[in-house]
Amino acid sequence: MKVEHYRRLVAMQMNRRRMLQGGASLGALAALGGTGLMPRGARAEAHGNVRADILQIPGVGMGSPTDADWQRVGEMCLGTTRARFAEGEFEGVELTFMGLNNQNLHNFLFRGFLRPWEAYTGATINWIDLAQADYNARLQQSIATGTVDFDILQMGAPFEGDTAGRGLLDPMPEWVAADIDMEDYVDYLKEPVGTWDGQVYRVSIDGDCHTFAYRKDYYENEEFAAAWAAEGDGSDWAPPTTWEQVNAHSRFLAGKSDPLTGLDAYGFLDPLKYTWGGFGFYFLADRATAYAKHPNDPAWLFDPEDMTPRVNNPAWVQAIQDVMDLIGVDGAYPPDQLNADPNTTAFQQFLAGTGMGLTWWGDVGSNARTSDTSVVGDVVGFSTNPGATRVYNSQAGAWEDTPNEAPNNAYIGWGIYVTNRVSGDEARRTAAWSAAAHLGGKDLSLWCSAYPSGFQPYRNSNFNYDEWVGAGYDADFVEDYLSSNLDSYNHPNAAIEPRIPGIFQYYSIAEDELVRGLAGQYGSAQETADAIAAAWEGITDQIGRDSQVALYRASLGL
Amino acid sequence: MSDATDRLYVVTNDQISPARERFGRILVWCAAALLVAVALFQVMGSFGTVEEMDSWRPTLYAYLVFVIAYCASLVIRHGERGKRQLFIVPATIFVISMVVFPLIFALTIAFSDWNLSSVSGQNFNGFDNIRQMWNDGFYWNALGNMVWYCLAIIVEYVIAFGLALLLNSEIRARKFFRVAFLLPLMLSPVAVSWMVGKSMFEARFGPMARLARWLGWERPSFFGDPDIAPYLIEAMDAWTFIPFMMIMLLAGLQAIPKDLQEAARVDGATPWQTFWEVTFPLMLPVSLTAIMIRIIFKLKLADIIITVTSGGPGGATDSVTSFIFREYRDRSNVGYGTMLAIVYLVLIIIGFTLFMKLVARWMRPRT
Repeated sequence: MKVEHYRRLVAMQMNRRRMLQGGASLGALAALGGTGLMPRGARAEAHGNVRADILQIPGVGMGSPTDADWQRVGEMCLGTTRARFAEGEFEGVELTFMGLNNQNLHNFLFRGFLRPWEAYTGATINWIDLAQADYNARLQQSIATGTVDFDILQMGAPFEGDTAGRGLLDPMPEWVAADIDMEDYVDYLKEPVGTWDGQVYRVSIDGDCHTFAYRKDYYENEEFAAAWAAEGDGSDWAPPTTWEQVNAHSRFLAGKSDPLTGLDAYGFLDPLKYTWGGFGFYFLADRATAYAKHPNDPAWLFDPEDMTPRVNNPAWVQAIQDVMDLIGVDGAYPPDQLNADPNTTAFQQFLAGTGMGLTWWGDVGSNARTSDTSVVGDVVGFSTNPGATRVYNSQAGAWEDTPNEAPNNAYIGWGIYVTNRVSGDEARRTAAWSAAAHLGGKDLSLWCSAYPSGFQPYRNSNFNYDEWVGAGYDADFVEDYLSSNLDSYNHPNAAIEPRIPGIFQYYSIAEDELVRGLAGQYGSAQETADAIAAAWEGITDQIGRDSQVALYRASLGL
Repeated sequence: MSDATDRLYVVTNDQISPARERFGRILVWCAAALLVAVALFQVMGSFGTVEEMDSWRPTLYAYLVFVIAYCASLVIRHGERGKRQLFIVPATIFVISMVVFPLIFALTIAFSDWNLSSVSGQNFNGFDNIRQMWNDGFYWNALGNMVWYCLAIIVEYVIAFGLALLLNSEIRARKFFRVAFLLPLMLSPVAVSWMVGKSMFEARFGPMARLARWLGWERPSFFGDPDIAPYLIEAMDAWTFIPFMMIMLLAGLQAIPKDLQEAARVDGATPWQTFWEVTFPLMLPVSLTAIMIRIIFKLKLADIIITVTSGGPGGATDSVTSFIFREYRDRSNVGYGTMLAIVYLVLIIIGFTLFMKLVARWMRPRT
């Protein structure tokens, strides 16, 4: 759950009547309690329900949480630590934590959550705060120059190859797995994610996936329906479930008027300026996974045998060709789309009422209803990413005409890791894992999902909609938006990227080649894909093919 | 005692004893030996021959000891003359430490295949990076773009000169315009990128798009068209830095003695003749300085490109710096990225040397 979720809550603002109702109820409860009419058990249970209680901090519509709120939540979620460790057990232990300071979240919250933990255990934490843009460079330089100076690390799963693959992490003790209830994780965050060579290294604190957000009003529009019946392919005028339909709808919408804004209507919003530090490649992958991720094969980017890129196989070429086809349709994309990066498509186009749909992380779903600049809040719908009517079987080297879905769980999500700097000192090691377990606790995860934290839900228990509604959320919104995430997380054929060293190098050079291809500098989609594949081969050779193959296979759990 | 070449008056007539001189030599040699020994020990440590230390700080400290010992030995061995040398020796050592050593380290990286994600770390790879660069279309495309960006400085110079002449003339609110024209220079290029590139030139609702549509351009595409995007990038960069050239040229114009221009007018010269035969030649030194500094700024062009187009569409706006940024930062390709930077540096040095030679020839008084 991102900061925008909370803005939505703020937008719901508790009105005077609601507050008076709440006050009256509170008064009545107090009176009952005072007269002894309220059962003792009920009172005790009310105080004992940590999950419901923390969701009232600071409370829906009560403004942004502050450091005091984070500390209160941290204190209330300290039960597991108290049960396992004596007060002052880590007295004198000093640890260094490296994490992000995006949007004044992440480390800022961790500080508040861990303040009560420090007070109770006696340990001290020093902080290294990094901007998102500096994170990769700082981490890679620390590893490459042998200057790892942090004991606890906030890190995305794609970097596990760079760290766990090099033996830089400390394996998770068994008691941590029990304390954080790893069975509650959504499916795709379970093994092999967070593990390496059979060892568990990760305490998850976040989940990530791309979902499909679309304009419901486009598909409820009678004029569009009638026109589609006349011009279309005979199918119903309904939200697309395959990329073939996405392209057909985009062609159809070119030249029509948007029912909401009255301006030009456009189809699916591909961010054609893919160059986005590696993250832009996820958006081509959204299209490609439906064609390329075969249900019987965990690999979809490289061959596990020798790291031969699959990015130039017919499935990926089809995805690139789909984009090229739409570029050739006048009016399918908004003008200047070749200079639209993913931020532009999400926040300046889709939320501002441009385009039929797009794929993005959770931010778009929450922003749709809460952002001041969004005009699509009442007309937005969500689903898992579109699928395809056929899938390419890389092992057989042939297309199979069977429908396929493969949601792209892009970036996998943030986790807490402990480095091997503490491995030789049992007290420091235990303290570090205790801090990680506290941040990855089950109850704390619910609060982080419901309030601005920078993290999305990542546990099955986070999707208990009654808890959200009890906290003040709108039931329809929660179900529509969150179920698209849940379905992506738990999809049996979800595409999960390989956690190998330098994975963002592959993505980054692919972006460069892709924009060249889209600008017409290569003769075809196949040539563009071949250029990407050649660049990927170069990176693999440079990093070391044998080690990459071994690490890739380990990341796939082979 | 000062020698024959010493032209300065020496207050103290030093009597340096052989023992003192010997002590000075021993001091500096001991410090040098210490430096070599510590550095060797650490190098052996890095190869695993002996126990490896946590960092290279011991070598740094040994280097500092050597520098101090060397400076002390100058005084011990040469007395008053040594003291005078101390005025320049620390500065020289500082420059060597801050420029030459990093350059040497950069060269060692440039001739390696160092990718931060590579398990094998930094390995010498000869001229592989040069060969890769030779076949790298992205780099040559960026270099080609840089040539055009640099040539555009001529246009920037003409505009800056015109503005400087305007602000040097007797116009109303001259002081106000001088400050107003300087404002773009005070803006961060990143801010310009957002305000102008991403807001004013936003293709649907931006004011420039509305203007373009009003003028009959139905679907304006500013940064999605490879024929237009480089000009707009150049325009934004020019808008930021023309004031810089303008203010330098204005200072030059104000330094020209008025009587020269008055004499020309008295002799019957037209305004154009006054400008072309008197003002412009007198402004040549300032002009060339302004152009040279502007070229230096231009060669570093990256921030606007990274923010607005990321080098696109299809590399049409890419600069060498923005490409190296992607290669180095996004792809952690330290060895190759450093080699690209070194080659760029060599090209700049060659280019500037030739330019300075030409400038010297132009500036030579005509006989």
